Amino acid sequence: MNILKSKVSRRRFLQATGTAGAAGAVGLGGSQLDGFSTLSKAHAQAGGGTTVVNKSICGQCPARCGIDVYTTNGKVHAIYGSNDHPIANGHLCPKGHLGTYILYDPDRFKGPMKRTNPQKGRDQDPKFVPISWDEALATVAGRLNTLREKNESHRFAIFYGRGWGASCAGLQGTFGKLYGSPNVAIGHASICATGSQHAKGATDGNNSYNSYDYRNANYLLMFGCNFLESFRPYNNNLQVWGYIRGEKTPKTRVTAVDIHMNQTLAAADRGLIIKPGTDGALALAIAHVIMTEGLWDKNFVGNFKDGVNQFKTGAVIDDKLFVEKWTKGLIQWWNTEFKDRTPKWAEGVTTISADLIVKTAREFATTKPAIALMERGAHTHSNGILNGMAIHSLNALVGSLFAEGGLGYQQGPSYGKMPVSPDDFMDDYAKSPDRKKPRIDLAGHDDGYAMAGTMIQEAGLNHTAKKPYSLDTAMFYLTNPVMSCPDPKSWEEALKTMYVIDTSPFLGETAWMADLILPDHTYLERLQDAPTYPFQGYPMTQIRTPAVKPVHDTKYYGDVLIEIGKRIKGPTSDYYKQLGNTENVLRALAKGFESDPGDNGVKDFETWKAKGVWFKKPYAYRQIRGEFFKWDKAAQSYSVPMKPEDVKNDLLKTESGKFEFVSSKLAGKKDWILAKIPGRNPEKFNMPHWEEPKYTGGGDLHFITPKVAMHAEGRGSNLPHAIALNQPTVGGKRENLCEVHPKVADAKGIKDGDRIKIKSSAGEIFAIARVTELTRPDTIVLPFGQGRWAMGRWAKGRGASTDSVIVQQSDRISGMANFYSAKVSIEKA
Amino acid sequence: MAKWGMVIDLEKCTGCQACSTACQMENNRLPGENYQDVLYYTEGKQPTPKLQWFPRPCMQCENPSCMHVCPTKATYKTEDGVVLIDWNKCIGCKYCMIACPYGVRFYTDEKPLVEPNLKEVFKGEGDLSWNPPYKSPQQDNTKGIGIQPNGVVSKCTFCYHKISKAPKGTANLSNDDPALREFVPACVRTCPPTARYFGDLDNPNSEVNRVIAAKKGQRLLEHTGNKPQVYYVTGAGAAGGGSIPGGRSSANKA
Repeated sequence: MNILKSKVSRRRFLQATGTAGAAGAVGLGGSQLDGFSTLSKAHAQAGGGTTVVNKSICGQCPARCGIDVYTTNGKVHAIYGSNDHPIANGHLCPKGHLGTYILYDPDRFKGPMKRTNPQKGRDQDPKFVPISWDEALATVAGRLNTLREKNESHRFAIFYGRGWGASCAGLQGTFGKLYGSPNVAIGHASICATGSQHAKGATDGNNSYNSYDYRNANYLLMFGCNFLESFRPYNNNLQVWGYIRGEKTPKTRVTAVDIHMNQTLAAADRGLIIKPGTDGALALAIAHVIMTEGLWDKNFVGNFKDGVNQFKTGAVIDDKLFVEKWTKGLIQWWNTEFKDRTPKWAEGVTTISADLIVKTAREFATTKPAIALMERGAHTHSNGILNGMAIHSLNALVGSLFAEGGLGYQQGPSYGKMPVSPDDFMDDYAKSPDRKKPRIDLAGHDDGYAMAGTMIQEAGLNHTAKKPYSLDTAMFYLTNPVMSCPDPKSWEEALKTMYVIDTSPFLGETAWMADLILPDHTYLERLQDAPTYPFQGYPMTQIRTPAVKPVHDTKYYGDVLIEIGKRIKGPTSDYYKQLGNTENVLRALAKGFESDPGDNGVKDFETWKAKGVWFKKPYAYRQIRGEFFKWDKAAQSYSVPMKPEDVKNDLLKTESGKFEFVSSKLAGKKDWILAKIPGRNPEKFNMPHWEEPKYTGGGDLHFITPKVAMHAEGRGSNLPHAIALNQPTVGGKRENLCEVHPKVADAKGIKDGDRIKIKSSAGEIFAIARVTELTRPDTIVLPFGQGRWAMGRWAKGRGASTDSVIVQQSDRISGMANFYSAKVSIEKA
Repeated sequence: MAKWGMVIDLEKCTGCQACSTACQMENNRLPGENYQDVLYYTEGKQPTPKLQWFPRPCMQCENPSCMHVCPTKATYKTEDGVVLIDWNKCIGCKYCMIACPYGVRFYTDEKPLVEPNLKEVFKGEGDLSWNPPYKSPQQDNTKGIGIQPNGVVSKCTFCYHKISKAPKGTANLSNDDPALREFVPACVRTCPPTARYFGDLDNPNSEVNRVIAAKKGQRLLEHTGNKPQVYYVTGAGAAGGGSIPGGRSSANKA
């Protein structure tokens, strides 16, 4: 009988026990049933072999956690956080462990390829055919040389997203300079989080993300940054949370502000669910309470000459009565704007009760050290920079800038010099004034976004409109604007009319439109540096070392750039020949450690590779009760006093050398700002103030598309394990579900689990509704990251591309795309 | 001989699911069939809805009902207190899945949560249900460790392939001790907020016993008599009434 030869199935077992009757039930005992065989032993004790643990750096978000990569018999099978890495401390976030899967993703590109189908489009199979690296690199260089011969080198652009360090994205600027293109390279900050950089640049002069001393803070006030799901460095944030909430005395109090109930709000002491785009109004009211109740930090901000608080709601103050210390423009700001920004007023704007605003303000200002932190939720709006400035001003009011338990800015690593200086290899063509062309994204140009650093979301449109010109060739590194910009159709159309080179290791929408595929290694195969993203301020830089030899015929992007450079005619070629390869670059950088070894003994290239990270604690600066000091190594204390000019050079980098409530940086562009932003108040344009956000799309519901914890910047969307855990709070296990409030669902006849159509003036998408009280009645929530139309087998066609219904609109000052200003209407599909 | 146990501090747990993915990779799990799940609950109404979560491994009961119902004695309790399944004896009858009050056992006939089916994409050799490209080198059918074979039930082993190699007399298995980190269960080792403690419940000086005592550890479904070796604690230190994540103060209502 076959049944006796094969393994026992449950049904067969039941059949067997049924026929065997009671005797079987009694006789099971410790021995096996007669006639039943169990598993073959073939796989028992499989494996073995020597396990090697390799130091590397995770590549799934900006955090740059040190990882220990376990390889046995040439296969990577486990990733854990490195114990001796200051960000990871032996831990990882949920994404980190899945990196093995990224390495072995069956849908990776296997080698360089070229397109053979001249037609481009979603429905056009590119018909890629494999080519050699020599042919691929020669093809790129041929195009670039031709452009140069035609005096059109500006028509070559590189767009990049997650640049890691000096050996990849760091090489791009030099390439642009030697080759002669202002479009090498254009970053993705304007679809990422540049809004907060600009808010800080406008107020304290540092156009940068902050470092944070969370562990010493006693109060955290979080605006739209979802600390426990998406704020960087995620893994470390979670570690911080365990400490400040579970171990530290006193327990750090947390108030979190967001537009729906998420894990951060849920775990905080207080969760404030705010109307989208109104975070600035809340911050202004908190500032108002701090002033009227006399809770500002006198050491940092200053005080009335007579020491008597004269901030009274609605009352104008003579600015001669107040002496400011490290801030500028407080009284002007008060008189012009926030003397009237009462909690009652803010309640009407934000929907948060005045009572809760007062309580939050009192706690924040009296539970020091306190930090107000913010990210995309607050600034991804037309009024984004104003919201951001208002929130960041709270840090000045409570004196937490550069304080213990406060905020700082990241110091760079002690890198050595590059092995070759590009200045010696500039030819006449590169030096020619002809090279000073506007960029394709018009960032930094008065016709475009004069104050923005990057405008990737505009570049596709500009190309198509030939404003200021069209691109001939574009190369993409770790960015996929066809998926990640608002109204991504504009990029999709643009890619049809330019020669596209994609360097992603994976199929994606940009690759689908590409003419040439130059696949990069995945992060576990790379030798690559990665200075820390803003963390705790002290300098740190890490290095990836390959855990395994490249699985496929791929090439590290940094080396691709160098190899292209070697093939550019003229002295550019000589420069890249002398540079050699990225390992030479890394060796040169590591020379800097010889004279400045890290705390963990890293002193050269080899020790850097062995430890995976170089760092030097502590942060160099500290503000203590309104005085600034530098770290004194000998005394092991912050005891070297800083002069005001040192503070201006190193820390408060504004025109005044102070924290500017009234921004001189914005004042410098007054005419341009007022001309380009209709309706901006000329009295208040350069100070934090309330301006109604310009909602887009024409619908009746706010459409908010947050990042989920599992989102690995596009690299995770083809991971089945990540998909299954993607949106745990509402059960989005197969695809992301759209949070719809029961009142909205009732009104529109939508039931939980129904397929709904989400519509705006930009387009329509479909999603499954999750009827839930987690979101506001005026807001639906659907995480971004799905709706891939060209990706691996697990990603393709799953869920909805949220950006497809988001209208293209950006903060005119920061350039930040207004993802969260979108409004939509929904109906049962 | 140790009696291994775990404590999960719900006040520290951020609901991030790192425990789930670390476990998935270490134990070659299929999507959605997590030895270590985090469960999420919603209650209440705007503007103060509640969102809560609850991490749930196998409770490694002292008195495991799954073991008692097993007709082939495939499920057994080790001397050091862990409930394991001998896949060579398991006949896949699923009695144990019904008997387990905690829902932490898995059979191989589940419909794939995420299509295309990984079992088809990475076809298993021989009896194995699939063949992940990154598979862990550990495979011990007698302990239910490794890739789940077809036709058998599987469950969390407390990463028995790790903890069983810990030096005798170990009181605490913590990632913070470099000498011991390789013996720490994957979920405990990675837990970013350090919400998990692991050690010897029979050692009065162990960290697990300290935390259980200090924060009044509780076990799930005590009335079943299963006596879990996984304890939960909350920040407030009050049995039953403690705050758990999501159980934040109702300040919004004030």
